[in-house]
Amino acid sequence: MGRKILFITTDQMRYDAIGANGGNIARTPNIDSFAANGISYDRAQPQNVVCMPSRSTMVTGQNVGTHGVWMNGVPLPVESPSVAAVLRDAGYRTALIGKSHFEPLLDPFLRFEENRQGFSGATEGHRGFDHMELATHGAAGFTHYSRWIRTNHPEAIGMFFQVLDGDLEVSDVPGGDTGAPQIKRNAVPRDWYHTDWVADRTISWLDGLNADDDWFCWMSFPDPHHPWDPPESELHRVDWRELDLPIGYPQNQAEREAIIDSKPRHWRLWYDGKLVSNYEAPGKWVPATLTADQIREVNAMAHIENELIDEAIGRVLAAIDSKGWSDDLDIVFTTDHGEFQGDFGLLFKGPYHVDSLMRLPLIWRPAPSAGGGIDATARVSQPVGLLDLAPTFCTIAGIHPPEWMEGRPLPIDDADAVARGFERVTTEWDSRQPDGTEIHLRTIMRDNFVCTAYQPGSVHDGTEGELYDLILDPLQQVNLWDDPDRRSLRDELLIDLAANFVEPREFRHAEAPV
Amino acid sequence: MATIRSHARVQRSADDVWKVIGDPTRIVQWFPGVTAVTVEDNIRTLTLAAGLPVFEEIVTLDDRMRRFQYRITGPLPVKYHLGTMDVIEDGEPGCLLLYSTEISPDPMAFVLDGVISEGIENLARMLNDHTEDER
Repeated sequence: MGRKILFITTDQMRYDAIGANGGNIARTPNIDSFAANGISYDRAQPQNVVCMPSRSTMVTGQNVGTHGVWMNGVPLPVESPSVAAVLRDAGYRTALIGKSHFEPLLDPFLRFEENRQGFSGATEGHRGFDHMELATHGAAGFTHYSRWIRTNHPEAIGMFFQVLDGDLEVSDVPGGDTGAPQIKRNAVPRDWYHTDWVADRTISWLDGLNADDDWFCWMSFPDPHHPWDPPESELHRVDWRELDLPIGYPQNQAEREAIIDSKPRHWRLWYDGKLVSNYEAPGKWVPATLTADQIREVNAMAHIENELIDEAIGRVLAAIDSKGWSDDLDIVFTTDHGEFQGDFGLLFKGPYHVDSLMRLPLIWRPAPSAGGGIDATARVSQPVGLLDLAPTFCTIAGIHPPEWMEGRPLPIDDADAVARGFERVTTEWDSRQPDGTEIHLRTIMRDNFVCTAYQPGSVHDGTEGELYDLILDPLQQVNLWDDPDRRSLRDELLIDLAANFVEPREFRHAEAPV
Repeated sequence: MATIRSHARVQRSADDVWKVIGDPTRIVQWFPGVTAVTVEDNIRTLTLAAGLPVFEEIVTLDDRMRRFQYRITGPLPVKYHLGTMDVIEDGEPGCLLLYSTEISPDPMAFVLDGVISEGIENLARMLNDHTEDER
C-alpha cells in the first residue's frame, strides 16, 4: 500500500489569503496546519495567470508553450499527457472533483467531453481520471454541479450572480452594499453552495474506495474566483466596513496613477476603461471608478469564501482520518493564479505580471509515514512553478516522472532547491481578441527580481518591459526597466529568460472566450 | 462586430459538395452538436445536443453561385449574424469551401469559430472518405 495524494486547489487565490502566509482576516486553520506540518513555498508561480493555461500546466507538468493552451478558450487536446493517467496506470484510483477547466466552459454545441459529462451526469474516465464530477462558479453551464442544482434545487439557479450579460460579456452589474462589480447577495443555503458540494462529492468518492486502495484526488474549489457571491448566511463572518485597505492599494489617486503610468501603457489604458485585453474582467467596467469601500467589500467576500473552503477541507480531512488513511496521506495545496483584490486600484486579472497574480500559496504536507529526512516545517524561498506539481505527484507515488514532464519534483527545503538548481521560474501571457487586441508577455523571476519583456502586439512595440526588485520594492510599484543603473541586470535577466523560456509552437484556435 | 472565416479544400467536384451544402437539412450530418433539423419555408430550426433550439433564417440558396447564406435569429444571444458558405471551382483539383461569418457580440465569434472549423473538417472528411454521401 502506497501513499494517498489529496491535491487541493482553489481558483484565483492570493498568496496572502491564508493565515500561514500572513493573512489575518480569513481563518484558515486547516490549511495553516498543512504549513505547520509541511513545506511552504514562498515563491511559487503559475506559468500563466489565467485558469485554462495554468490548470493545463498542473495536469501535464508542462510549460504553456508545450501543452499549447495559450489562453482561456483554447482546449487542452484530449490526447495530451496527464499525470492522472500516469498514476492510474500505476494502480492509483484517480478523481477530479470540482473545477477542471481544461476545456472551454462556454460550449452550447457540447463539443467538449467535460461539458458532455456534466450535462449527462456521466462521471466516467477522462484525461486519466477514473471519476470526474465538475463544478464552476455558479449554477450556469454544463457541469455536474449545475445539473445537481437544476435537478434538486431549481429555485437556487437565479440566486447566484449571473456571470455573463446579454452580450455574452463578463457582467459588470454592481451589487453588494457598495456597488462593486460581480458581487451579489446570494440566498443559496450554504450546503447547496459549490464549496460544500465539492467537499461532499469528494467524501462520497472516498467512501467508495477500498481501504487498501492508493488514490489521487484533485479536489478543486471554484472559489474565491469572482463572482463574489458566497451564501448570504455567511456574510457575518467578515464585516467589510472593518477591513483595512490592502497595502498594495495606494490610497492617493495621484500616487496610484503615477505608479500605473510607470508601467507599460496597457495598464493605464485598462485602468481608464480604454482597453479590453482579455475576457476575464468585465469589459464594460472602468477600474478607475473603483472605490475604497468596493475594495473592502470584494476583499471581505473573498475572505468569507476562503473560510468556507478551509472548513470544507476540514470535513474532508475528518472523513479521511476516519478511514485510517491520514498517516499515509500527502496533501498539496495551491491555486491556479492570483487576483488583484484592489492592488493598484484594480480587480480581477489579466496581462499584469506582478505578485498579486503571480505569487501563489503552495504547501506540501508530506505523509507522516513517509519520513525520509523531510523537514516537515520548511519554508522554501527558491522559485518553483506549478509545472513542478505533476512530477511531485509521481515521486510521491514512487514513479519516475515521465520525460514529457518539464517540471521537477518540488524541493523539500532551500538546500535541496539550491542543490537541484531551482533558480528561476517563468510565466507567460498571450492573448488575441476578436477586435485585434493582442498582448504578449514573457516573465522571469530569479534572484529576487521579476523581469517582464513585452513582445510586439497591438498595444506594445516590443521595447516595453517591467523590472522589479522584490526586496526593496515588494509591492512592485517602482518599474526599473528604463533605469540605466539596472541595464546590465535587465540584460542578464533577458538572456536567461530567452534561454529558459519555452515559446509556443503554434497558437491554436480559441474555441470559446472562456 | 467580429468576422471569422474557415475554409477547406474538398477532393470532390463543386457540384458534389453543393449537393450537401445546398440542402439545408443535411447540416445534421456534418455540423458538431446538431442532433436534429427541420426546414419550413425559409426557417431552419436546429436542435443541439443539449436540447437547445437554434432558429435560423435562410437568406440565400443560390444553386448557380453555389452560395448558402443564413442568419441566426435566436435564442443564442446574437445581435447580428450572417453566415455565408461558398463552394468555389477555382481550377485546382476538387473545390474550395469557404465559410464566412459576421457576428455580434464579439464573444460569439470565439464559439462559432471553433465549431465551424470542426464542422468544415467533418464535411471535408465525410465527402473525401464516403462517396455514397454525394447523393
